[in-house]
Amino acid sequence: MAAEPDLARLLGAVAAGDRGALRRVYEAQSARLFGLANAILRDRDAAADALQDAFLRISQRASQYDPTRGAPAAWLAGIVRHAALDQARLRGRELPSNDPALGDAAVAPEALERVSASADGRKLRECLEGLEEKNRHGILLAFIHGLSHSQVAARLSLPLGTVKAWIRRGLLQLRDCMS
Amino acid sequence: MTPEERDALAGEYVLGTLEAGAAREVERALAGDAELRGAVAWWEAAFAPLTSFAPEEAPPPDLWARIEAALPGARAAPQRQGFERWRFDHWRPNPWRWLALGSSAVAAGLAALLLLRPAPEAPLMTVLLTNRDQPAWLVEADRGGALRLAAVNRQPVPPDRVMQLWALPQGATAPTSLGLIAPEAGQYSVSTTAIRPSPGMLIEITLEPPGGSPTGRPTGQILFIGRLSAASGS
Repeated sequence: MAAEPDLARLLGAVAAGDRGALRRVYEAQSARLFGLANAILRDRDAAADALQDAFLRISQRASQYDPTRGAPAAWLAGIVRHAALDQARLRGRELPSNDPALGDAAVAPEALERVSASADGRKLRECLEGLEEKNRHGILLAFIHGLSHSQVAARLSLPLGTVKAWIRRGLLQLRDCMS
Repeated sequence: MTPEERDALAGEYVLGTLEAGAAREVERALAGDAELRGAVAWWEAAFAPLTSFAPEEAPPPDLWARIEAALPGARAAPQRQGFERWRFDHWRPNPWRWLALGSSAVAAGLAALLLLRPAPEAPLMTVLLTNRDQPAWLVEADRGGALRLAAVNRQPVPPDRVMQLWALPQGATAPTSLGLIAPEAGQYSVSTTAIRPSPGMLIEITLEPPGGSPTGRPTGQILFIGRLSAASGS
């Protein structure tokens, strides 16, 4: 995997129209990004379509990447996650929110351990642990598996309005904790 | 919008819980709102460690070739001429899989149509494919909003279902309905002001209950799908 400064430099070259640089971004990041898309779509064909859309967007929007506002890997992940969410909507397919495998990894203690591998991750973990359990689960399910408000509500057996309010409150608590 | 509302909205957008219409509004607002862009970037960075939850997984081996082929102005291999060249220039944005039409009569007919057509106002075209990559409908669109479809491989529709035509402009998150196609129809024309056909726009036909989708969004199986591209080099 390309080191972060290298990725930022490659994105600069992509913005200038360098196809070779886009390919190097792909080579360095495609396994990570494909895994992200497939965690949301759980369908390799759909995940491949999402990654294709994402790389077209990356080639169009590389000039919008601002290194002072975040790491390139996070920017790439944001584009891929939204391409995967769009793909799920486009296919008119409800994500199976009752999948028994879903979300268990997201809330297992060892998964939180992995998040703490970096300093940023440790801070995020501390702040997530400061949230009420259902707020935390809702946020993790939404982020990792792309569940919508209504799917999180179904998964946690809570009314939709409650889930919306809890996620919003959880987000604002996270912001205050991490700022 | 208060800073708190903006931060919460940006957080919901990054989290992905916003309903499609709301997510699209955020995307539109991003271009002209530096503070919202900053808030979105902050959340992407904040949540970045969570991306380690998803196990790394190698994509299909041909995916880079598909991406490269779909990039604007993808170069054709230099020895390719005529129909071959057109295929390589214009079939690449196919959202599903590399399309191997080979020497089918459909392809030959389309190619002839394209080669004979004057260049200036290049029409937009695609072939809607089944989920097995079989061509099913030819689509021609002009940028003013008229679409013409012709069936090349009519397929039976269950008696209690109708076919509904949809268009999804690039960057949009929700498709726009372009009406119902009668099950026995071999042709369909529609003129719309709701969308502007443009290269890259997805066209799809879904199976819906009588009277069309009750939600205004596709609810049934996607029968056929294709992506418009300009019929002359662009």
